[in-house]
Amino acid sequence: MLMFDGGVYRINELYELVEDIGGFIIQKTQLQVMITVTIAIPAEDRAIIENKTRELGGKLVEVPLAGTEIAVVGPTLGRHHMPHPICDIAEHLRRYGAITVVMGLARGKGRQTAQISADEKAFIEEFDAAVFVLGNFADCIVKDKIRLFEKIEVPVAVVCGPEIAGLPNCEAMVCGIGRKVERMRRAEEIAKLEETAVAVQQVMQGRKQEIDEDPLFVHPAEVKQRIDNLELVQQSLRPSPIVLHLDGLRVKVPYAEVKEQLCGIDIYGRRLCDITTISPSRLGGSTMVRILTKAQVASKDSRPVKVIGGQTPA
Amino acid sequence: MNILVEGSEEYGNDVYVELFERILIDLGLTNKVEGAKLLVYPEKHLFIVSVRMRQARTAVKVKEIADVSEREGNAYLVIRNESYAPPLLSILWKQFGRERIEQLSRLEIMAHGVPPTKIEDLTLSPGEELKKEVLDAIWRLLPEGFKVRHTLFTENVMTITSTEHDMHDEFVQMGRKLHEEMVNGLDLESRKGGMGEDDEEEEAEGDV
Repeated sequence: MLMFDGGVYRINELYELVEDIGGFIIQKTQLQVMITVTIAIPAEDRAIIENKTRELGGKLVEVPLAGTEIAVVGPTLGRHHMPHPICDIAEHLRRYGAITVVMGLARGKGRQTAQISADEKAFIEEFDAAVFVLGNFADCIVKDKIRLFEKIEVPVAVVCGPEIAGLPNCEAMVCGIGRKVERMRRAEEIAKLEETAVAVQQVMQGRKQEIDEDPLFVHPAEVKQRIDNLELVQQSLRPSPIVLHLDGLRVKVPYAEVKEQLCGIDIYGRRLCDITTISPSRLGGSTMVRILTKAQVASKDSRPVKVIGGQTPA
Repeated sequence: MNILVEGSEEYGNDVYVELFERILIDLGLTNKVEGAKLLVYPEKHLFIVSVRMRQARTAVKVKEIADVSEREGNAYLVIRNESYAPPLLSILWKQFGRERIEQLSRLEIMAHGVPPTKIEDLTLSPGEELKKEVLDAIWRLLPEGFKVRHTLFTENVMTITSTEHDMHDEFVQMGRKLHEEMVNGLDLESRKGGMGEDDEEEEAEGDV
């Protein structure tokens, strides 16, 4: 995964080259005459893209978190937690290519009164991973706040102030970032942000390995390429109308409007709804597409087709 | 200004000194606060803040800071001390409504349909404003979930005891004790704290 950062002049040449070598354009963000393009290409063809980037006068950055969507979760949306350090962390993860969503719980404040609702958990589970940002007191975190991230089915990284040896229900921990009332801009604070980004990368690596054990039927980027052509998606004015996940994608068009069209998309001779689960997203006006694994599709194929009347078709 | 913290977790204590300093800087209160002491016991769900303020300006009457005269049935004010202009405008708006108060220039105010006698004896109390600002700083500092609060206030010391659940007598007593210590002039300068260190050095130099 790489990010091209440069001008729009002759940018189509880059797009064509990426297609020619069998890569994908994951995301484009244009600001007047400048553009950043996130691309996924085969590792052996990197030199070709590097040459083209030099020719176009841009630069190429490694973005290990590209193709992931991460929730950065705070106990509340109050000024005790926002914008610092939660937004600082979210912004830093974006520099590594992740799409991040900042979220505050409705009743996450306090100690024994802190809680997370089933709805909030389900919302967090739509993302590839969640980063929980907690406070300064070990006693509070170890005894009470751990409830906030238990039984969440996506990997969780916890960021907190005091040094704590370990916490249950989380895949990674970064200590040394507690409550802040100013931007994290000192050298030691930036080092902590780096540490958070590395921890999240490790968590994502683990998730990728899990997926590789039972690979997806098709890569999300291939599905994205086909969905890109839908008129409803092209008309969407929301930033990044399609967001890639490790095991699927989020299409920012309402489910009711787009489900039929999504279902009918042809991928390697199959309808999209035969190889994915398409459902409404909890993030308003969006649709979730979860890609089935090869094993799941094979198992689906081997099931006998039931026809009303008890007869199988000739 | 010096901030002392007593508590059960070293990391939390240090961070809260820094947090309170930053909050006071953000609100422009560093010169108005003499010092503070915090008692932080997360395992007891207890957080006490006591702040000692520097003396605010004394209350003044409008006629002491502005010339008030009558002009065609309206009160006409010329402010002599500009630093009082914002609180003066504020109190006039509050008393007579914005539609009747017109600011003609930087130092001139016209109060339409208001006799000067009604304005001359109004009192401006900058101390009240300071109390509000310090209270705002304390609320920003206190943990968000600690909503049960007990407040003590005497002249220039404000102490807030906060907890998440029941306010036990023990907590109130601890708050009272800290408040009395602060009122009786608990020495904040000679102890360890963030921003006061420079002051100590200056004093030491002075003594030499």
